[in-house]
Amino acid sequence: MTISSISDVEFGEELPVFEPDTSLETVKTFAKIIGWGGARFSDHEAARKEGFPGAIVPGILSQGYLVAMIHQWAPQAEIKQIDTIFRAAVVADESHQITGVVTDINEDENLVEIDITVVNSKGETRVFGTASVEIACEK
Amino acid sequence: MLLDLHTHSIKSDDGRAKVKNYCQWIKAKNLEIDGFVLTEHRQFDDESDYSALAEKFGITILKGSEVETEYGHVLVFGVTSALQNAFDFTSTHLAIAEVLEQSKLHGAIAIPCHPGRPRVGMFAHTDQLGVPDGVEIVEIYNGGSRDQEDQIAIDNAIKLGYKGIGGSDSHIVSHIGRCATRFESKISSMDDLVAALKSDNFEAISLK
Repeated sequence: MTISSISDVEFGEELPVFEPDTSLETVKTFAKIIGWGGARFSDHEAARKEGFPGAIVPGILSQGYLVAMIHQWAPQAEIKQIDTIFRAAVVADESHQITGVVTDINEDENLVEIDITVVNSKGETRVFGTASVEIACEK
Repeated sequence: MLLDLHTHSIKSDDGRAKVKNYCQWIKAKNLEIDGFVLTEHRQFDDESDYSALAEKFGITILKGSEVETEYGHVLVFGVTSALQNAFDFTSTHLAIAEVLEQSKLHGAIAIPCHPGRPRVGMFAHTDQLGVPDGVEIVEIYNGGSRDQEDQIAIDNAIKLGYKGIGGSDSHIVSHIGRCATRFESKISSMDDLVAALKSDNFEAISLK
């Protein structure tokens, strides 16, 4: 179910889980397009030599996936802010899940706050943060 | 009684949770915890008064601190004005010996947190610096732990005879209550908490 009005949003509501494409091919292509050359985004072995656990997903790609997760839930939402803290690398070719839950609703300003978390297959938090999202009130 | 002994609010530089939302979340999700301690980074929050929220939601809300030493991060419970004058809470290079000693001197208690974590955990430094004197309790369950960090903490705590506590180390609302500490006695003030921590009647709990 998608959300189109803030009146449909409930405190504690869980957004549909989003599974980002973290394949090395996609990461490599993305890094190339944005001009971020470098082995850390394209080669597991070379990334390990730089001290990473493997080739890593660029932070802005992870941010893009967070936006996609929110828009999958509320397609018309306007994302005012995404504030993330990167606790550990998101490693390419490893399966991850992005979860979101509503933790504040301000109906006066049509704003919803969402906790967002990127976890790996072991359930370990790699990235967490909050998003502030404006959702219209349709009466 | 279950208390989450390690949480952060927007008062911490990397905290994104409002205390009111923590309370709403605990009630909305029927979390098992009865309360939590705000342990803001490198400070003691003298300003905030959460008593009205605590009463409204029926949740115990206490305040401690998380300071930084050469052995990593350390929770301090029972912070007083005198203790705040005894060392610089804002420093990132405190001596753990001073934190432990001054805390004890002022009736507080200092507990290394996430000790199994690289860089900011105590056991990451004991090979090089030795085991510090005066530690009696460490955090053995931390909600933000990765890999084997909690197991490292548990193994070393057993080896060194330390007692263990649990805390979620939450920085966002939905992460509160992932780990906690169970007390046999009722805790309604920081004095109660410090007294309980100085006894043997508590155990760390993981609710992950």
